[in-house]
Amino acid sequence: MLQRYWFGDVDEQGCRVAGTDPAALAERAATLRTGMESYVPIDWEAARACGVVRTREEYIDLLRAVCTTLARKKIVVSYQARDVELLQMVRMLDELDNVINLLQERAAEWYQVTNPSFSRKYRSLPAKKMLSLIRRGAQGGLGDVAGEIERLTGTRSRLMREVSARADEVLPNTSALIGGLVAARLLSRAGGLSALAQMPGSTIQVLGSERALFSHLRAGTPPPKHGIIFQHRRVHNAPREVRGRVARVLAAKLAIAARLDYYRGEVAPEFLNDAQARIDAAGVAA
Amino acid sequence: MIWLQNVLVSPGEGGVYGERTLDGYRIWDPYRSKLAALYVLGGGVDLTPELRVLYLGAANGTTVSHVADYVETVYAVEFAPRPMQDLLEVARRRKNIVPIMADANRPDEYAPFMEAVDLVYQDVAQPNQVEIADRNLVFLKPGGHLILMLKTRSVDVRRDPAEVLAEARAGLERHLDVVEVRWLEPYHHDHAAIVCSLRE
Repeated sequence: MLQRYWFGDVDEQGCRVAGTDPAALAERAATLRTGMESYVPIDWEAARACGVVRTREEYIDLLRAVCTTLARKKIVVSYQARDVELLQMVRMLDELDNVINLLQERAAEWYQVTNPSFSRKYRSLPAKKMLSLIRRGAQGGLGDVAGEIERLTGTRSRLMREVSARADEVLPNTSALIGGLVAARLLSRAGGLSALAQMPGSTIQVLGSERALFSHLRAGTPPPKHGIIFQHRRVHNAPREVRGRVARVLAAKLAIAARLDYYRGEVAPEFLNDAQARIDAAGVAA
Repeated sequence: MIWLQNVLVSPGEGGVYGERTLDGYRIWDPYRSKLAALYVLGGGVDLTPELRVLYLGAANGTTVSHVADYVETVYAVEFAPRPMQDLLEVARRRKNIVPIMADANRPDEYAPFMEAVDLVYQDVAQPNQVEIADRNLVFLKPGGHLILMLKTRSVDVRRDPAEVLAEARAGLERHLDVVEVRWLEPYHHDHAAIVCSLRE
């Protein structure tokens, strides 16, 4: 029975060696298709008998070189996918939100100590105004920090626009249904476009509410109606009694949209029209 | 296995993941590594210098590096690109690790690189862990061992871990003799080690 191994083809008559150059061997090995029914694991001495290597050490060295080359190639390919950078972008965006909030709160606390009359209570003081107030009013470190927070906020807004634009490109259909930002967050939670495209609608519906979901599965608490998709206006603006239905219909359409994005990669207007109508219809109270 | 003052260690070049050393040996922490936990609890298969090992779910290569300190060759299979980058770095410094980027679910992807091994070690977070083990038995020598780290929570979070374990054990017994079953408490929760040997 012919066996196709990384170093060449081996059968009862002998072997056909594929060379000793790791790059060439890796290229050949990537094309090998192995049927497992008649497969026999390698006896490394076959490689010696074929003249590929002289010692076990050489055998392992060459094999390692081939496998490392292959792995590096596969890593490059998997990072080339267009969704991989978007994933990092949206995670950075959410991290920025966290950091900015923390810094803002701390800056306000600090400012309040030096200016006892300052309080954010009982008046709506937007963060932007507060920061410029602190920057101008405080001396030294606090002023610097406020300036840095303002710059971070600017960075965040620019990144948000970038995420939206990239999501429109990578996830055209999903973005059309729930907007680029929320679409990108779904992608980030799923771990990639291919993962998202393989998810059932019911999973997409509760992505981001894992805590509530698992406490439901374990302890029987009420199940979550929505996770990340709650951030979409048609879900959080829906009347309470139909919110679950909107979330369910939206998630079901998102599952289809993600598959279109993954396998087709372009806008499907006929699907989008129908889906938008169905989602809107679900939001009308009975 | 090497024990110094009742601490499990492995011989080899340190500094792989910031592990501490003891008399020049690398400490193998049972809280970090499930395989170390199995040895500390008194179970497992002795790792000897002539052993060839297939390691499924190699991840960042921390446990792999300790196994490689003991045995002749480790075939380390990992699917995800991010941990694979770390694993490649570990494999660069340890000449007896063969890093393979492939899916343990699809042994045909790495069959052209594999020789028969004495030990299959499997630590993958997949619901079909027993099925994966079954598919990889083709690489195991008769009389060789399989150590399966069963993550019961990955199989089904709703079910009782003991029940999941019983089912896994029954599944493995179709082709293997189960030698030992051990929960990894207190080091790892809801994880069980199943040690099997392949019938001659």
